[in-house]
Amino acid sequence: MASVWLTGLALVLAGPVPALLARARWPRAVPRAAIVLWQAVAAAAVLAAVGSALAAPEALLRVLTHPRERTGFPLLIAVGVAAVLAGLIVVRLFGVLVLLAVRTRMRRARHRDMVDLLARAEQNDAVGSLRAGTVLRVLDGAVPFAYCVPGRVGREGRVVVTGATLDTLGPDELSAVIAHEQAHLDARHDLVREGFTALHKAFPVVARSREARDAVALLLEMLADDAGRRRHGDDAMAGALDAFASRGGEGTEHDDVLLRRDRIRAHVQGGRALSVGIYLAAVALVVVPTITIVIPWLTDALQGLRPL
Amino acid sequence: MSLGTLTCVALGELERAVMAQLWSADGPLTVRDVHDRLERELAYTTVMTVLGRLAKKGLVRQERDGKAYRYAAASSREQMAAEVMIDALGDVGEDRTAALVAFVDRVGPEEADALRRALDTPPQGMPRSPES
Repeated sequence: MASVWLTGLALVLAGPVPALLARARWPRAVPRAAIVLWQAVAAAAVLAAVGSALAAPEALLRVLTHPRERTGFPLLIAVGVAAVLAGLIVVRLFGVLVLLAVRTRMRRARHRDMVDLLARAEQNDAVGSLRAGTVLRVLDGAVPFAYCVPGRVGREGRVVVTGATLDTLGPDELSAVIAHEQAHLDARHDLVREGFTALHKAFPVVARSREARDAVALLLEMLADDAGRRRHGDDAMAGALDAFASRGGEGTEHDDVLLRRDRIRAHVQGGRALSVGIYLAAVALVVVPTITIVIPWLTDALQGLRPL
Repeated sequence: MSLGTLTCVALGELERAVMAQLWSADGPLTVRDVHDRLERELAYTTVMTVLGRLAKKGLVRQERDGKAYRYAAASSREQMAAEVMIDALGDVGEDRTAALVAFVDRVGPEEADALRRALDTPPQGMPRSPES
């Protein structure tokens, strides 16, 4: 029975739940809690999938055989198949995660080197609102554009802006942008994103992993926007996004910038109750299946292993 | 001045200055050439170390010319700027083609032209970014 439940849970958490969550509007009001919920959904989905892979062969054995036959060779095969199935999921995910982590860090190291060489040295200290451990780099560029590159552990991260950003944005807006990037670096938002990118790379088709990755990426931007708003005000942050949006372009990224600007202008802010509710839901998502399905099944399965 | 006394910031500044010389040069330079062009109070070994660091990072090409080594920038300044921009945009997704399209879409005609010129120039043994 456990395998049916776990398979069902895995399917629901990989399909309809992310689809609904990606389309919902309420996460925008509470980005932090919503990101935690996304992480819980992802973790629960992976755990359920691994659980169902472990439980299925044993369940099949139960259906096909008499209790007395459930020893020796057939049981050994069932356990073996279970281990291989579960191992495939785990190895695939961790393999992708490690590869992605290594590649990302190599790319970032090169990116930091190049940005350091290309930066306009004389303008680097134009804005003195960065915390220690972060360096501002100004690149040539006619279009307002800003991003950050996390540093290695213990090394300096980079906040990179184009010259046009300095020219176009007002002082408050620029400070808000830098506070936004600094928030990304301080809270290691890149690690959250990396997890969902790995999930998508590991299981690109089966699950709604693309929606999950993109939704989380947008929520992380909103979370960083909120940091900018707290330090420099709604007007500064929304004004900066206006400038970034006015560089034109089409596609989802442009739409996302507009969405973030409108969210600030509309003063979208979730209540404490909503946040608490979401955090509880996130915890329940991981804990409840473990208690109600996995533990009884494990107890049962271990008893079945004893010689009759 | 030995490297040991240099702070990280000064080293970064020095790398920038050395790279500027390589970018503005007509061809590969020896350590002596770079040292002379810099017109600063620097030890020859300091310049050699900086060039070695840049070569190790894959930003500078090192070629043997008789007894001495000659150094050249692995890519032009424009190529490097284009690579940085594409990489910055590519971080959003993982598809380089999509990143390129987004780049051209986003930066407008001027940068797109610069990018096209940069791509037209044959990269002389330019190391590819690890992601490609």
